Amino acid sequence: MISNLFLLGIRRPGPVLLALLAITAVTAAGLPRLTIDTSFNSLIPADDPAKLIHQRVMSEFGSDNKTIVYVHDPELWTPEKLRALDDLQRSLKQIDHVYRVDSLFSLRTIRGESGPDGPVEVQSTPVLDGIPDTAEEAEAARRRALDNPLYLGNFFSDQGDVTAIIVTAHEPEEPQDINPVLYAGIEEAVERHAKDFERIFQVGPPRINAELKASLYEDFKVLGPLSALVLVVAIIVFLRSSLAAVIPILTSGLSIVWTFGLLGWMGVPLNILSAMIPSLIIVIGSTEDTHIMAAYFRGLIKQGDSVDKKVARGKAIEYLARHVGLPLVLTVLTTALGFASNLLSSITLIQQFAIAATLAMITNGIVTIFAVPLVLAHLGGGEPPASFARESDPQSIGPSLPNHIIRIFRISQDHFPTGTLAVTAILCVFFLYHASKLYVTNDPLSYFPSDRPLVQETHMIHEDLAGIRVFFITVEAENDKAFLEPENVKRLASIQRFMDKQGVFDSSISLADHLAYINREFQGDFGRDAIPATRQLIAQYLLFFHRGELESYVSHDYRRANIIVRHSISDSHTLNQYIRELEDVVDQLTGPTLEAEIIGENLMVNRAAESLMVAQVKALALLLGLIFVLMSIMFTSLKGGIIAMIPSVIPIALMFGLMGLLDIPLNPGTAMVAVIAVGIAIDGTIHLLARYNELCRRTSDFVGAVHQAVGEVAAPLIVSSVALALGFGVLLMSNFTVVAQFGALAAATMLISIVANLLITPIIMARVRLVGLYQMLGIKVDREVLESAPLFAGMSNYQRRKAILISEMGEFEAGQCLVKQGEVGRCMYLILEGEAEVIRHDGDQQRSLAILKPGQIFGEVGYIRDIERTADVAATKPVTALRFDFERMQKDLKFFPHIVAKLNFNISAVLGERLADVLDQR
Amino acid sequence: MILAAAFWGLIGLAPLADEVVADSLPDATGRELMEGVYQRHRQYPYVFEVQSMVLIDRLGKRDTRKLRRYSRVDDKGGAQILLLFDSPPEVKGVALLAHRTPDDRIRKEIYLPALGRQLISNGTVTIGPSGHDDDHFLGTDFSIEDLTGESLADYSYRRRENVLVNEIPCYVVDVFRPVDDAASDPPVRRHFILQDGLYISRTDHFDDLGRLKKRQTHHDLVPVDGDMWRANMILMDNRAEDHQSIVKVDRRVFSEDYVPEHLFTAEWLYSNVPPPEEPDETPGPELDTAGETDEENAAP
Repeated sequence: MISNLFLLGIRRPGPVLLALLAITAVTAAGLPRLTIDTSFNSLIPADDPAKLIHQRVMSEFGSDNKTIVYVHDPELWTPEKLRALDDLQRSLKQIDHVYRVDSLFSLRTIRGESGPDGPVEVQSTPVLDGIPDTAEEAEAARRRALDNPLYLGNFFSDQGDVTAIIVTAHEPEEPQDINPVLYAGIEEAVERHAKDFERIFQVGPPRINAELKASLYEDFKVLGPLSALVLVVAIIVFLRSSLAAVIPILTSGLSIVWTFGLLGWMGVPLNILSAMIPSLIIVIGSTEDTHIMAAYFRGLIKQGDSVDKKVARGKAIEYLARHVGLPLVLTVLTTALGFASNLLSSITLIQQFAIAATLAMITNGIVTIFAVPLVLAHLGGGEPPASFARESDPQSIGPSLPNHIIRIFRISQDHFPTGTLAVTAILCVFFLYHASKLYVTNDPLSYFPSDRPLVQETHMIHEDLAGIRVFFITVEAENDKAFLEPENVKRLASIQRFMDKQGVFDSSISLADHLAYINREFQGDFGRDAIPATRQLIAQYLLFFHRGELESYVSHDYRRANIIVRHSISDSHTLNQYIRELEDVVDQLTGPTLEAEIIGENLMVNRAAESLMVAQVKALALLLGLIFVLMSIMFTSLKGGIIAMIPSVIPIALMFGLMGLLDIPLNPGTAMVAVIAVGIAIDGTIHLLARYNELCRRTSDFVGAVHQAVGEVAAPLIVSSVALALGFGVLLMSNFTVVAQFGALAAATMLISIVANLLITPIIMARVRLVGLYQMLGIKVDREVLESAPLFAGMSNYQRRKAILISEMGEFEAGQCLVKQGEVGRCMYLILEGEAEVIRHDGDQQRSLAILKPGQIFGEVGYIRDIERTADVAATKPVTALRFDFERMQKDLKFFPHIVAKLNFNISAVLGERLADVLDQR
Repeated sequence: MILAAAFWGLIGLAPLADEVVADSLPDATGRELMEGVYQRHRQYPYVFEVQSMVLIDRLGKRDTRKLRRYSRVDDKGGAQILLLFDSPPEVKGVALLAHRTPDDRIRKEIYLPALGRQLISNGTVTIGPSGHDDDHFLGTDFSIEDLTGESLADYSYRRRENVLVNEIPCYVVDVFRPVDDAASDPPVRRHFILQDGLYISRTDHFDDLGRLKKRQTHHDLVPVDGDMWRANMILMDNRAEDHQSIVKVDRRVFSEDYVPEHLFTAEWLYSNVPPPEEPDETPGPELDTAGETDEENAAP
């Protein structure tokens, strides 16, 4: 059936071409509907229960989505600079969607003076009331500003040479819509004032979003074409065929249109990982095309020079359909499964990518199946490339790179098989040990390279002020006004003291700080212990704050309090560890009467990183399980499933080890490498096992069959793996660290998979015999013949077919002698079709002893004992017969014990019958 | 009317008008209109009010405080005012004493019972464009100037086209600081004066970019003495911060008997103080850090 699909392109070229064009037109119409999603929301699992809590906290205590405009100047507190700063904050206020701008011009401070008998004067004043006229006034403002512990680190650096202007946007329905406007507006204001200050820049969600988007566009522009170029060069170098290079470009082009068009219609947005899709289509799609082209060229070679070119092309396509049809469909399925298994991730970003990539792989498979035969039938040329014709001779190993590699591998396989396996096992253990050092991260800033200005400027903010990452600790009581109670306010202070001890968070501010601050101004002394002593004093102090100043820290009914924490930890693993520690302590400190939550978009994003690990394990287990089942079924044996997994498991073990060794974290990019690599590496394995299996039917020399299978598959496998590695290597040019790391690791995994497929798998493969399900299903033998054959007595149809496949099948012309009297041969035959005559020679005379029909066996005595044949057996009509070789059957006894035992039992029964006949005749 | 309403509404320290606009108000200048407003809704020397102060945050959550206001004007144009909190219970007895001098300076003192028997100076506020005003008076969205009224001498006024506000014809007057260029700079405020009654029913406050920052509206107007009106409710809608503050007058008495001189003294305030509670000296909860030293437990 699969072959028929391939042949549709040459049997019905018109309709197929029309269908391809129609699908392309329909899908292309979806392209304008494509959207881009670079929001942080896509980094958080959609079902994260913390989302709801986060929304509630945001609505009550204000957004954690703020942009910091960093301003540094040693002369900041001079009238001239302050005037420029005032102009800047006015410009910022005028930007669309800006809700408020907090700067030293909007900050108020409470200042107290104490006499011997207590407070004398307490005043609430702005830090700056207009632009100061003199340096002295500016200096006084600086002192006021730096004297306020609530502002130090948040708005001002210790020395006062750095100040932050915090721009808060309105909370829109769709944050994506306003970010570009905000970023552009703030950037324009910042650039206009760049000359006024030594250093000025903005950092915040609008900029991160804008840079994500810009980098994504840039990646789209660069990565796809570069991958295509690398692919073309690789194929031309390895296969020396321009046609082999054109085909993948054609299929990739169509697949890209189909995939992105479908995404547009489905409403699945593109994200930063989507930048990889064109490269993946080009690179992964090309591997299938390479196998197809190799099969096509082999098919052409088989036709020789005598056939008409058009006919030769048709025959070659039929050949490729027969030989690579099923493996191709399987490889498309396994690759798609590899990508689809990422759907298990709870992170929307990865789910969106998984949908896109799976769609890409499937569309590429469909395009390949229908378009390639169509193109080859008309443009395929009539001859294979000269170099391919020379190198594809299975008996010889030519001078090409793949063959050099095979030659080296063969030395290991032939002379040090055990040693090779032992070294591989030791390497796997070594790398798995290093894999235990793996850590996860999901921080959006870690998506960018560390030398990018955005990342460096974020570090700069962290050095001079508190970090830009924010989370909240909300504490809720059962009753209203709970946070007027000193005891509860002290609990907030205790939590903050613990964070101080942790020493990893940059700053934390709460109601306790405000009360301690005002208490200091009224009574002197400051510290988080200096919480007002009575409920009345707390309530009376709070009259001095405007509601707006407190709304981020305590609810209007004083039932819920909020600690705002700023930090600069980008490593999810470290952050999550500290947060877990903090959660335990917060639970302990708040006691049974209060309930606490530690919440923040930043935390949810980082917490999602943990799910990366879980999803990775799940996806890998699922994929390997599926492949195991699929391969076990395909090769009708659990061993087949296990062998098929070896070339996948080894590269993965090495890849995780490499990540541990090179300190590469598991992130949304790298988390996908393993499953994708398995999906791709298994392709080569399927081709290898399928070919080996086919060859085993024609020979009892399994080692020779392994060599031949490796020889035939190596070229396309190495070419496709190297092309894949180069294609993935192109992703190193990505603007995103996660994509570059994905590319590097995937490339390394592809190269390792060559070794696993062509060095390790053959050593194991030579020790097993596999039977393909597709071969069993493909056997065309008269069922009645099999059922009546005494050799297959008591066997199920499945066992009979398997028995056929572990034997050798031969075809003999009429008159051809199958067994020669006097010769020694430890094999016997079962006639499937045709007719043969048993002829005994006595001197010059010959006597016909019997006419053998389908289902009958002969040569069974020679099979049992090493004696001369007692008669000839010659075909009287064309004969198809199964040959059962004694030595091979003994070998197969360990591979197929049930089948071979049954066969041996039946041979004994046949011999017993013969003996009884002979005795009866006497 | 901001002046009069705020003046009588909360603190009640409005300046006396300089002149009287007699006739032809439709053709009057901005300053003339303002002077007419001040003349008509003049100051009363002894006022006692029971007020509710409602603070509404951006989520619509309300906090209500009950307070009493006493105001007394002396013969020289100076005045004293006392705001005394009655509820919530935690702030009962908290008092703000303000002394306004004839030159528009306001000296404030506060009394926090929880801190003990002492009056603490809360600074001196100079009302006007060059003064240092507290924009968030007692945690509300009012500034002192919003509540005490502007001094006509400190500002310039420009009349604008008359408008209908809620279908009621109003004069419109823009208020500028002396440093402002009325032709190019945005006004600091814009008064909407009811043509019928010369009462400021609405005042829009603008930020330095000319954007609407706050809107003050006066409701439940009642005649108190002939043509003189008072609002029983003032709403300040803080658009910039999405908050609202409402001052509602529950009871108003114009009588010297209700505002005796001794109310404005520390002694009376101390006698009105509920006894302070025993301070809670217990430290906040600490972790179970058995084995750690005190030094380790200390906050850095």
